[in-house]
Amino acid sequence: MSTSSAVPKSTSSRFSSFRPSPRLVRGVDLAGQWAAPIMIVVVMIIAAVYAPAFYQPTNLKTVGIQIAVLGIVAVGQTLVLLVRSIDLSVSAVLALGAVIVVQTESGNPLWISFIQAFAVAAVIGLANGFLITKRQVPPFVATFGMLVFVQGARLAYTKGQASGTVPAILRAISFEQIGPIPAALVVWLIVNIIFIFILRRTRYGRWIYAVGGNPSAARYAGIRIDAVVIAVHAICSMLAMLGGLLLSGYIGYVDLRLGSDYNLNSIAAAIVGGTTFTGGRGNLFGTAAGVALLILLLNLVVVLGLPIHWQYAMQGIVLVLAVALQGFRQFLLSR
Amino acid sequence: MAVTVEDARERFSPCSQQFVRFLRNNASIVLIYGIILLVVGIAAVFNENFRSPSNLMNIMRQSIILGLIAIGQSVVILTGGMDMTVAQVARIAGLTVATIFAAQQSNPALIVPLILLGLLIGTVLGGLTGILITQTHANPFIITFGIASILRGVNLAISTTPIRGIPKPYLQIYEAKIGIIPVNVIVMALIWIAAYLFTTRTRNGRALYAVGGSERVARLSAVRYNRTLILAYVFSAFCAAIAGLFLLARTGVGDPSAAEGMDFQSIVAVALGGISLYGGKGSIIGTLGGVLLLAALSNVFNLLQVNIYYQQLFLGLIVLIAVAAYKSPRSAA
Repeated sequence: MSTSSAVPKSTSSRFSSFRPSPRLVRGVDLAGQWAAPIMIVVVMIIAAVYAPAFYQPTNLKTVGIQIAVLGIVAVGQTLVLLVRSIDLSVSAVLALGAVIVVQTESGNPLWISFIQAFAVAAVIGLANGFLITKRQVPPFVATFGMLVFVQGARLAYTKGQASGTVPAILRAISFEQIGPIPAALVVWLIVNIIFIFILRRTRYGRWIYAVGGNPSAARYAGIRIDAVVIAVHAICSMLAMLGGLLLSGYIGYVDLRLGSDYNLNSIAAAIVGGTTFTGGRGNLFGTAAGVALLILLLNLVVVLGLPIHWQYAMQGIVLVLAVALQGFRQFLLSR
Repeated sequence: MAVTVEDARERFSPCSQQFVRFLRNNASIVLIYGIILLVVGIAAVFNENFRSPSNLMNIMRQSIILGLIAIGQSVVILTGGMDMTVAQVARIAGLTVATIFAAQQSNPALIVPLILLGLLIGTVLGGLTGILITQTHANPFIITFGIASILRGVNLAISTTPIRGIPKPYLQIYEAKIGIIPVNVIVMALIWIAAYLFTTRTRNGRALYAVGGSERVARLSAVRYNRTLILAYVFSAFCAAIAGLFLLARTGVGDPSAAEGMDFQSIVAVALGGISLYGGKGSIIGTLGGVLLLAALSNVFNLLQVNIYYQQLFLGLIVLIAVAAYKSPRSAA
C-alpha cells in the first residue's frame, strides 16, 4: 500500500529533473497569450518604416477583406481546436461554396443555392464529426480524407473548368463599403460577436471548453461529448462556407486553386492567438489578433516586393513558431 | 456454449487452429493482399493490356517513389506521429541536385557526391524536424505541416521553372537493370527488407512501437524516447530524399512541383496497410500492400482512361471508407 501512495501523481515530473521557475512559467504563459497583439504593433511599426505603401487606402481595404475571410474561417477552426480536434477540410469547403453558388446561379433563385451551399457544408461537417467521434478516426486523417474527397467531387462536378459569374449580393457583402470600412469586415465582426457571446455566455460555450479541457470529466458531468464535437464540426464547415462566399465575392471569379492556403492559415492564426492544440484553452479575441498578424505579414511580403512564394515560407514560419511556443507553454503549465 | 464448441473444434484440429490464429493476428495484412489479388485478378481477366509483363513491371516501377516515401511514413506513424514534409523533402533533394548539375555544365563526375549531398539534405532536415518536435512537445502533424510550407517556399525560391541539364549517366539510375529487374526495384526491396528487419528484430525498432504505444510506459521501460522519435523522422526524411533522387532520374528535370500529393498518398498507403494511425500497432509489410494497391488502381484507371478528376474523387472515397471501416480499440478521448 505504501509503495503505491509513494508514486507521484504527475507522471511527467518523474521523467525529468527539469523544474521550471514560476517566473519562467508565468513569462511563457503571458507570451503565449499576448504574442499576437504585441507582434501586430511591431509589424505595423516595421511597415511604417520600410513599406509606407502598406498604409495606402486601397491596400488597407485589401488587408481588411482578407482579414475578414480568414477571420471567419479561423473562428470555426478555433472552436474545433478547443474540442481537441482539427479541421483540414475547410479549404475544400471554402472552394466548394463558391462553385455551388456561382454555377447554380443561372437557373435557380439565389436563396436556394445559398441554402444548398450551407446544407452541403453542414453535411460535410457532420460527416467529419461522425468519423471523429463515432469511428474514433484521428481528426487529421478524417478531415484530410474529407479534403481529398470534397476536392475530387468539386473537380468532377466542374470538369476542372471555372465558369459562371459571382452574384451581385456576394459582391455587396464583401467588396462594397459601409462608410469607410469594407462590408466583409462588418460580417466578420458580427460573426465574432455571435460566437464570443456563445462561448462566454451560453451553456453550449461552456460545454465546448469542458469537452476540450478534460473529456472524461465532461462525460462524468453529463455532457454529451460526441454531440458537442459533431456540432462544432458542422459549425466550422458552415463558417468555412461563409468565408468561401465572401472570398468569391471579393475576388469576383471562381478560381480552381481558390482557398488552398486556408487550412494552414486558419490553424496558424488560431494557435498564434493563444489557442492550444491540446484543447480547452484559447479564445476568439486571440484568434482575431492572430488572423490580423498573419494577414499583415503576408501582405508585407507583397508590399515589400518580395517574390510571392515567400508567403509560403512566412506561413510556415509563423505556424512553426506559434506551435513551438504554445507547445512549450502547455508543457510548462502541465507540470 | 458456442465458445466450448469452438474450443473443442480447435483442439481436434491444431492445424486449422494455427491458421485461424494467423488470420486473427494479421487480419489487416491478409485483407489488403486479398484486395490486391482481387483487383489485379479482375483487371488481368478483363484487360489484356494489364496482364502484359511490361505493364506489371511498370506497376512495380511506378510504385517505387511512393513505396520509398511510405516506408519512412510508416516508421513515423508507428511512433504516433505523422510526417507532412516528405513530399517537400523529396522535392528539395531533387531540386538542389538539379541546380548544381545545371550550374556545373552537367558534369558526370559530380553524380556520386551530389547523390550523397541529396541524402545529407534529407537527413539534416529530418533531424531538425525531430529535434523541433521533441524539444517543443508540439503536435508532430502541425509542426511538420508548417515545416512543409516553409520548404515549399524555399523550393520555389530555388526555382519556379523546371531545371534542365541533368547528365545522361544520372538518368541511367532509373533505367538500369540487373538481369530483368530494374535497379530501383531492387533498391526499394532492400530498403523494405532492412526496414522490416529493423522494426521487428532490433531493439531500436521495437522502441518505435513502444514510443507509439504510450509515452509514459516507454519512458518507464527505459526506452530513449527523444532519440527514438528523432531517429524516426531522420529515417523518414532520408527515404524521402532517396525517392526525390529517383524521381529526378525518372523525369530528367528538376521539377519544382515534383512529388505533389505524396505526403497524403503515403499516409493513405500506411492506413490501408493496417498500421494504426494512433501509433504503436501494425506492420510495415501492410504498407507495402497499400502502396501496391494504390499503384495497381491508378494503373487500371489509366488503362480504362478514367478522367483524372474522377480518379481523385475515387481516391478520397477509398480513404473515407478505409478510415471509417477501422475503429481504434483505444478511446479517442
